[in-house]
Amino acid sequence: MIKYRYTLRAFVIIGLILSSITVFARGVYQTDQDFLAETFNQAVPKSKVVWVKGELAATITEILGHKYSGLRIRYWQNEQRSVWILEEIGKEKPITFGIVIVGNKIEKIKVLAFRESRGGEIRHPAFTQQFEQAALDKLKLDRHIDGVSGATLSVRAMTDVAILALYLDEFTDENIKD
Amino acid sequence: MNRKMRSLHRSLGAIVAIFVLMLASTGILLNHTSDLNLDKRYLTWGWIMAHYGIGTVEPDVVYLLDSHTISQFGSQIFIDATPATQSHVPVLGGIVIDDLMVLATQDALLLFTPEGEFIEQMGESVGVPSSIQNIGLFHGDPVVQTRNGQWRSDFMLDQWEQLSMDGVGWSEPQAMPASLEEELGHYFRGKGISVERVILDVHNGHILGKYGIWFADLLGAFLVLISMTGLWLWARRRG
Repeated sequence: MIKYRYTLRAFVIIGLILSSITVFARGVYQTDQDFLAETFNQAVPKSKVVWVKGELAATITEILGHKYSGLRIRYWQNEQRSVWILEEIGKEKPITFGIVIVGNKIEKIKVLAFRESRGGEIRHPAFTQQFEQAALDKLKLDRHIDGVSGATLSVRAMTDVAILALYLDEFTDENIKD
Repeated sequence: MNRKMRSLHRSLGAIVAIFVLMLASTGILLNHTSDLNLDKRYLTWGWIMAHYGIGTVEPDVVYLLDSHTISQFGSQIFIDATPATQSHVPVLGGIVIDDLMVLATQDALLLFTPEGEFIEQMGESVGVPSSIQNIGLFHGDPVVQTRNGQWRSDFMLDQWEQLSMDGVGWSEPQAMPASLEEELGHYFRGKGISVERVILDVHNGHILGKYGIWFADLLGAFLVLISMTGLWLWARRRG
């Protein structure tokens, strides 16, 4: 009887630890402004906007698999890099990503805020480093991204957002040159 | 004894007959669901919607901006009866400047076109003050009240200066217009409850909720009893 009581207690404690890990996966890991300040070494340039319309809107819909929820996307750019702060729904709630692009390649991708109850593993550097130096190849990444068990939708959201940022970076580059 | 049994049998027969008729008629209707399109006809009567737990529409907050009604249900923001965007935090107010509708939350401004299309969310990273408590207009300029004082901007909303202002027209929550409440009711309730579902629930007693099971048990007991009294009377007559 005592043995069973200890086993029950052990299960309750393990359950509490596991549920707290899930709860701790949610939250704001870094604010947008802190991410920008860190990326631009405190000298954050004035933001610019790209309007989501016409052919650009159609391509964004193709990348995300749904219409972008907004008419304009804001970004920050200096001579070296551009930074995009984008949101995409994993399963039910939006995940906020910060993406830094240098020379049409991803320098860094980071989960800034995660609101889902599952799939928070995508925030770990061990996962995000797969995206480093990834470039665009016909509206796909030029490499395979290994998934995370139990985080399929969050991985898909991060991959889509990475493609979107690379595409927007190319789009704005071309339009500035034009 | 014989007379008492006959009287009991007749009384039970009258009670059971009502429910047998109900079971038979609902059973026949369910057998012809497709022919009668019962699965495609819907009931939206208030009491039946309430009975199925689909009650009245209760927004968290409502603001009236020009000819539009802004309402928030959980994280969903509606402009009139159309879902416009989501916000994980409550909307604290709204204003109209030039060709923009601007809603304020504690950490961001949500921008919409005059037609109600979502443009973008502007937060601290683009210069919007944090810890917003309300939004208003001062001589046509947008003003936000924050924990750290009042801030004024222009239609671009990306440059804010801290000022102390008297006579700001602050945004205030309003009541939901009745006509829109009905429209939003359609959005949340869908078409209503199908006639098939209601007939099925009457047939199996689920319409009475947890009491339906006890009611079906009682009806079963009556049927057993009426069978036994009938057999008893039949046996006595033969005997």
